[in-house]
Formats: sequence, C-alpha cells, structure tokens
Amino acid sequence: MNYSHFPAIAVMGLFLGAFLVEIFGSKSKIVRNIIVFVFTTCAAALMLYLVKPVMLDGEIISYWMGNWEPVDGYAIGIGYEIDQLSMFFAILVVLTIWLSAVYSFRYMERDRHLGHYYTLFLMLSGAVLGLVCTGDVFNLFVMVEIMTFAAVALTAFRNKKGSNLEAAFKYLIVGSVGSGFTLTGITLLYMQCHTLNMAQLSSMLSGNLTPVTVLALALMFTGFGVKSFIVPFHAPAADAYMSAPTSVSMVFSGMVNKAGVYGMIRLVYIIFRAMDIEAIQILLVLLGVITMFIGVTMALAQHDLKRLLAFHSISQIGYVITAIGLCTALGVTGGLFHALNHTLFKGLLFLCAGAVLYAAGTTDLDRLGGLSKKMPKTCICFLIGAFSISGLPPFNGFASKWMIYQATYEKAVTTGNFFYAFATVTAVVVSVMTLASFIKVTQAVFFGQCPAQLQQTREVPFSMRLPMWIMALLCVASGVLYGDLYRFILAPASNAALNVTGYIDAMLGSGTAASAGIADIEVAKVSFSYWNPTAWLILFAIILIAVCWVVVFGEKTRGAVLQSESAQDVDGKYATFFSGEKSMHSHVGGSDLFWGFKKNFSGYFRVMQGIHSGNVNDYALMAVAAAAIFIVFMFVVLL
Amino acid sequence: MILNYITSVILIVLGLYTVCTKRNLIKIVLGLGITDYGINLLIVSIGYNNGGTAPIYSSDLFNLNASAAAFVDPVPQALTLTSIVIGACVDAMALALVIMLNRRYKTTDANEIRRLKG
Amino acid sequence: MINVLATIKIIVKTLIFPGAFFAMAAGLLLAGIDRKVLARMQKRIGPPVMQPTYDFFKLMGKETIVPHAANRRVYMAAPVVGFVSLAVMMLFIPIGGWCAFTGDADLIVILYLLTIPAVALIVGGSASGSPFAGIGISREMVTMMSYELPLIIVFLAVAKKVGGDQLFFGFKAITNWQIANGPMIAQLAMIPAALAMLLIIPAEVGTQPFDVAEAETEICEGPLIEYSGAPLGLFKLNTAVKMLVMTSLFTALFLGGITSGIHTGITLWGIAIVDHILRALIHVAISAVITVVSMTTIHAATARLKIEHLFKFYWTAVTGLALISLILVWIGF
Repeated sequence: MNYSHFPAIAVMGLFLGAFLVEIFGSKSKIVRNIIVFVFTTCAAALMLYLVKPVMLDGEIISYWMGNWEPVDGYAIGIGYEIDQLSMFFAILVVLTIWLSAVYSFRYMERDRHLGHYYTLFLMLSGAVLGLVCTGDVFNLFVMVEIMTFAAVALTAFRNKKGSNLEAAFKYLIVGSVGSGFTLTGITLLYMQCHTLNMAQLSSMLSGNLTPVTVLALALMFTGFGVKSFIVPFHAPAADAYMSAPTSVSMVFSGMVNKAGVYGMIRLVYIIFRAMDIEAIQILLVLLGVITMFIGVTMALAQHDLKRLLAFHSISQIGYVITAIGLCTALGVTGGLFHALNHTLFKGLLFLCAGAVLYAAGTTDLDRLGGLSKKMPKTCICFLIGAFSISGLPPFNGFASKWMIYQATYEKAVTTGNFFYAFATVTAVVVSVMTLASFIKVTQAVFFGQCPAQLQQTREVPFSMRLPMWIMALLCVASGVLYGDLYRFILAPASNAALNVTGYIDAMLGSGTAASAGIADIEVAKVSFSYWNPTAWLILFAIILIAVCWVVVFGEKTRGAVLQSESAQDVDGKYATFFSGEKSMHSHVGGSDLFWGFKKNFSGYFRVMQGIHSGNVNDYALMAVAAAAIFIVFMFVVLL
Repeated sequence: MILNYITSVILIVLGLYTVCTKRNLIKIVLGLGITDYGINLLIVSIGYNNGGTAPIYSSDLFNLNASAAAFVDPVPQALTLTSIVIGACVDAMALALVIMLNRRYKTTDANEIRRLKG
Repeated sequence: MINVLATIKIIVKTLIFPGAFFAMAAGLLLAGIDRKVLARMQKRIGPPVMQPTYDFFKLMGKETIVPHAANRRVYMAAPVVGFVSLAVMMLFIPIGGWCAFTGDADLIVILYLLTIPAVALIVGGSASGSPFAGIGISREMVTMMSYELPLIIVFLAVAKKVGGDQLFFGFKAITNWQIANGPMIAQLAMIPAALAMLLIIPAEVGTQPFDVAEAETEICEGPLIEYSGAPLGLFKLNTAVKMLVMTSLFTALFLGGITSGIHTGITLWGIAIVDHILRALIHVAISAVITVVSMTTIHAATARLKIEHLFKFYWTAVTGLALISLILVWIGF
C-alpha cells in the first residue's frame, strides 16, 4: 500500500471534519459526536499505521503537495516529511486528540454551541498534526497561526466568565508577537536561501552563518519559545490553561506546547544545526533550568487546581528543554521521553481536574476536600498521575528524570563545566517541589474532611473515566517497559534529531547531504543499568502478599480492621480527633500547607507575584525583551 | 529599495512599542496590526527585483526584452497574501475579544483587566 | 527454563538477607540501641534493647480502627508500600562491599526510593482525614524538601570523586573505588560531605531535633494520629528500618569496602555463608556506631526546631558543607 499520502490525508481529514461539524453537527448531538469520533480515529489510525515503516523500518516518508518535486535541487512546493522525530510527536498528537475527544463527549455536555467547540477542536488538532508533519517553514508558520487562533478561541469558549476572555486576549497578544517573530525569521531565511524547505535550508545553512541568518535564528528561537511557553513567555500559558475547558487544557499541555518544543528541536538541531556550539547548549539548558524552577515555585503558590497544573506544565517543559539542550544521545532521549511522559501524566492530571470540576463544580483548592470517598476511581487515577509527575519509581516520570539527571551530570563531568552540575541539582530539587505541590493537591482535594456542600458529589461517568484509565495504564506501562519504548520509539527519534543526513536525503534525493558536506554522526547507544526486573517483580509480589495478608488475616477478631460503614455512627472511636474543638475549620486546605518553605521564600514569592502582574503590556514586554536578549546573545556568540 | 527595509523595521518596532506600552486594548490590537504590516512589507520587498516583470513564461507573446532572471520572485507575494489573511483573522479575533471584554469589565484599560495574576 | 537455584537465591535475598527479615531485625535492634544509649546519656536506665521489637509485635496484634473520614484502601496500603520500598533499598545498598543485586541500582534510584517511605507516611496521614495529620504532612514534606538539596549534592560529590566511566552513580563503581583507594571519608575533600550526611540522617529518620513532623507534644504525632494496630506498628517499623538504611547508605558511601577483606573460605552450597554473617555483623555494628553518633547524641543534646528554622538550617549550613565538598572535588582535591 502506498502510505506516503497518509499524513496529508490525516491532516486534511481533521480540517474537513472541522467544516463538517460546523455544517451538520450544530443541531444534533449524535451526528456531531460521530463526526468527531470518526475523524479523530481516522487520523490516529493513519498515523499509527506509519509507526511500523517509519519507526521500526527506518523509512522517511516524503510527500510533495501537488507533486511539485524539487527541480535542479531547488524545492519550491510544500513538502510533507515524516521522519522519526516528526513521527514521535505525531504519536503524541493523535493520542492526545483521540483521548480528549472521547473525554469531551460527556465533559462538555452542559455547554451550548458545541458545534463551534468541535470545529475549533478539530482545527487545533489538524494544525498541530500538520505542524509536526510539514517539511516547509512557511507551512509550519501557517500551522502555528491556525493552532494559536484555534487555541485562543477555545480558551475563550466559556465566555460567561470575564477572566476566560482575559486569558484568551493575553494568549492572543503574546502568541501573535511570537508568531510575528517567527514570520520575520522565516522571511530573513528566505531572503538568504531562496527556499522554504527545511531539508534544503539545513543543507545550505550548515556551517555558514551570516548576520542575517543569525538574526533569523534568534527571532525564530523566540517564536518557538513563545509557543512552548518557556520562562519569559510563560505567563499567558498559566492563564490560558486555567481558563480553557479542561479537555482543551489537556490538549494544550499535551501537544500545543509540545509543538513549540518540536519547532525548537527542528530549528536548532535540523535547520540551523547549531547545537555543536556550546553557547547555544548553555542557553537552552539555562532557559530550561530557569523555566523548571520558576514554574514549580509558582505552582506551589497557587490556589486553583488547574492553574497549579498549568504551572507544572511550564515546569516540566523546562525539564524537556534542559535535556534537549545537552545535545548528547542520553540527553535528547531523556528529553523526548520526558515530553512523552509529560503528555501522559499531565493529560491524566488535567482529566482528573476536569472530573473534579464536573463533579464538584469548582477547582478552588480551598473549597474542596475529602473527595476520595466520593470519587475513589478519580482519586486513584490522580495519585498515579501525581506519583508519575513526581518521579516516584516505578512510574514513568522516574525513568525519564533518571535519564535527565544522568545526562546533565555526565555532561558536567565530561565538559568539566560546573553549570551542568547545577542543572542536575536544580532538577532534583524541582522534582521534590513537584512532589510537594501534588501532596498539597491530594490533601486539599481528595483527603481530609469533606465540606458540607460537597456531600452530594458523585463519581464521573464511564466515558470520562475511560481516557483516565487509558492514561494511567500508559503511565505505568511506559515506566515499566521503558526498555522496549527506547528501542522502538525513543532511539529512532533521538537519532533523527541528532543526524540530519537522512532527513535531507529523503527530501532532496540521496547524496544531497553528502554533497553539502554533512556526514552522519555516530550516536552512542544509551545504556540503562538501574533496572532489574526481577527485583521489581518481587517487590510487586511482596506488595501483593502483604496487602492480601492485611486484608485476609486482618478480619479476625484479634487484629481486626474496623471501619463503620455509616457516617452517622455515634460510636466515638470512629470519629476524627479534633482535640475537643469540633469546628467548621477542621480541614487543612491547600493554602495552609508548607509554611516552613513559604516563610523562607517569602521575598522570592513577592518578586514573582510582581512579575506575574496580569498586565498584558508586561507580558508582551517580557517577550520583546527576551527577543532582544536572544538577538544580542546570538550575535555575540555566533559571529 | 533600502527604504522598504527601513520602513518595515520602523513599522515592526513601532507596532511592538505600541503593544508593550499602550494601555488601551484597541491600541494594543492596532499595534499588532502595524507589526503585521511591517512584516508584510518586508516579505514583499525581498522578492522585488529592480526592473523585474511579472513571472509569466510567455516571452514570445509579449516580448518585452525581459529575461527570466529579471522576474519578480512570486513566492514572497504568495506568502504575503497568506500572511495578510492570517493577520486580518487575528485582528478580527482580537477585536471580538475586546468587545466582549468591554462588556464584562466595563473598561478597555489593560491595567484594569488583570483578574488573573500571581 | 528457570534456574531453580538462582530463583531461590533471589527469593532468599529478598525475604531474608539482606531484604525484609534482616532489615526488620537489624532496624529494630538499632532502634533499641538508640533508646538505650539515649537513656544512658540522660542518666536513665532505659528500656531493654529489645523493647521496639516487643512493641512492634504487640501492635501487630491490636485491632485497627479506621476513622470515618479515612479512605480505607490508601490508609491501609501506605505503611506496606513504605516498608516494601525500604526492604528493596536494602537489596541495592552494598553490605561490606557485597551487593545483593549487583550493579542494578545507583544513587538516583536510592534517592527516589528514599522518598517513598516519606510519601507513604504523608499519603497515609493525609488519607486519615485528621487536621493534625494535615499539619504533620505539611511539615514532613517541608523536611523532605530541606534535606533533598544537600543529599543530592553529597551524592554528586561522591560521584565526581569516583568519576571515570559513564555510570559513576552506581554503587559498584563507588565500592570498587573505595576498595582500591581506601574509604571515602579518608579523603580530605569528602569530610564536609560526610558531616553533611551525618546531619541528613536524623532528618530523614525523623529524630529530635528534626522530628517536627511527628512532634508528639505539639501535634500528637502528626500523620500517625489516627493510626492504630498493625499499620501503626508498620510505621514504627519503617522508622526503625530507615535508621538501618540511612546508616548503611552512609557506610556504603564513606566507609565502603572496609570489610571486603574478610575471606574465611568456608562455603556452603557454593555460598560463603560465614563471610556473609561476619560482614553483616560488622555492618550492623558500624551502623550502631553511626546511629549513636548522628542520631542519639544530637537527640540528647538538643530540643525540637521550628519547621522554618529546620528548612533554613538545611538549605544554608548543611547545603554549604555539601557544596564545599563538591567544589573541592571539582577543582581536583
């Protein structure tokens, strides 16, 4: 079967679905849901079909729109090119959109104008899928713009609340400033190379940087930085993730900011091949470290569950950028693995937050509590997500964080640069703070005392739990079977990022890369040795035996486990101890935790509150100032 | 020719300056628009050849002594069209948001519209 | 075909030595020694050394009352998970230069496994629904945040000192380096790191003056307030085993390989059982000494800190000590 059409069909299918939903789906719920389900499933099936040829057989698919193939080595037409790196991100995208679509069917049922919602949703999906598939920088820009446009509209979808509109406006302004930088960079590139094809740009730009291309690099770097929400550009992201419907927040953190990361990798690794330069590595690692630290500390100060998760998304992107910036096989693998894991566990956490919002009507941490007895399944899913993001073994966050620590410290030792050791330390501390902030959430939302107004809360319906279970299962599976994951998916993807010859040759005919003087680099095989399946299997066995022991033998009279079923039981021994003060303030809420930490960091938090002022001018200024700094930096170090 | 580039840079900087400093939401949107125009001008300018003609391969129909090398590059013009459309969409969307924000907050001052912070 | 002898070996390692049973017995013994020596320092007679063991078995037989507000599954599972992770850690930490699972774990795995008992305590306490537990878990978490920073810097210093090949975080490399070059603590540059580690141990185990999380007199044992019977016994056991794990970690990092010279040559079914027993005994003896030095002495001499002071102490003084080591190692000492 000729599968080179599949990516184009998948992207076009999603856009077609967007129009069909608008035309036929605005009245009937069933028609609408069927259209959305069919088109997202088709896109997922088409892209997953390509996993075997691309990932396992190492083929790179190239496809020229309208058959405008290159003439005399000059590419004018729009080309789609699926190498292993694109495929990796495409897997993330189709997984996220499918699960989010299934979740939306029930989650969004109380909203009106759902036809528009699904139109925008499918446009967003198509744009991100197109973005990772395309091999043309201008097409990339167009997809970025459609993505931003749809994302902004979805942020403002629940426009009853003024704050949602506000978030959308900030996102639009900062996003457009970023897009403007990207477009200017692309223009400058075209000016120099007279081509828009990434493969051709890569073969032309390798090793000869002029002031114009350096400016283009700095501008596009800023543009993709805005799209991936690394630190100076992160403020609108927190607002947008918080305000969007949760099924969309999951899409944002699962693939919209990954699209920025993808663009960043394409830009520095493939198009400019600038990662051999140490200053660029340090810049990326520094940005990553700052991003992860500011993200997590801001998360610790939040009172709203979704806003907290948004800041964690920013923080986890910091890990990815740090690892990507190392430019070693282990680093890139770890970064991509963490990107995958972040999609899984943050998607799961957002879905759980959505379930809480659906069931309890609020995500304010100070008004929730004791939901674990009302929503036990959501609670288990949330705990799995929380342990994954905190990196507790054997969940997936641990595996990728292990790689990132190892990679940063390996880099520190091999280069003798103390800065990378600092990155390792920060990464570990940030990981502990992540754990702390999820402890805060579990305490504030699921455990503790249940407020009176939440007594009627009930578990969410099955079609919302199904995506949660799938995500939770994937979290555990990718943590346990990461060896296979590495062999089949991560290794090809990181190879594709580090080696550009295959990408160029597939697009422009074999031998092009060699004639441009680009050779393959031998990528070291990453070795893992912290994993002993037998030890862990026995660990699980012991857990199982011990739990069985507690459950089975605990029922005897001696050593019995007693819990009264009725909450109205008058027997005082089942009551919680309040030291005589049975008061309404008996639940320890999220804001009451971590006093010792907040006290010592109070000055820092005051500064941070000042920076996140909520003023759109400030955010735009931060973006423009960062662009200026990047431009100056790149001019200083690259010329 | 050089004037085009200077103008486009001025427009871009002016637009960004507006976005960063003006507190009225409408002005911020206008700033975005100005940036877009600057970029569009830049794109169109890079394709221009002094004395170039339209890129039509029919030299024996209208023989104007123009060689193929003197064509104006058509690709940037296509890019500009796309960019103009996108810019118009973004502006429309932003203005729609401003209208709704004005309805909810009763103001268009960016300093007043900051419920989401910290 | 599954190798029967190898399977039996793994099961024996996991369940008896150095896994669950050894961890339990040695841990409770260390806890007893700690209490006895503390009493002597305070001019009391103190309980018998076996007292923690008696307490543990007594608690296992008591009935367990789960409060209304508690999530029963999480409440019951938390102590078990904590104990399992501690037992697994004992499999990875070398005892007298001998590792139960060779080369499979490194310091990062240990760092994360070390958080699991604390997380188990936090989640269990949180699941019990008590506001006192809420305060307790908050403090436990802040304690954890405060000691993780110096701990990772100590680990990095050790790893840099060992240096060499890629997997310098592995215990195998650390032990081999120490067998070749003498114990790590004999290196001038590593002495501040060792001191930092000695200060980290009491916070990790939660003894005075760093017992803010369980502060009995103040918040009624914090996370443990609603616990009773077997789960409470398991949590008490976890604290005891943590003593063994942390002191063993100290031994592995700074006193590694000093018992690796023991070779009696007596084998039984191809296993040098006598060697193992001797090494285990010496290991427990060293652990007891470290316990007395790092936990009992400080306990006897100080009163409980406030949580914000604890955080500050670890992020300034202890981190500073660890950082001195790291920098010294980095510039080549």
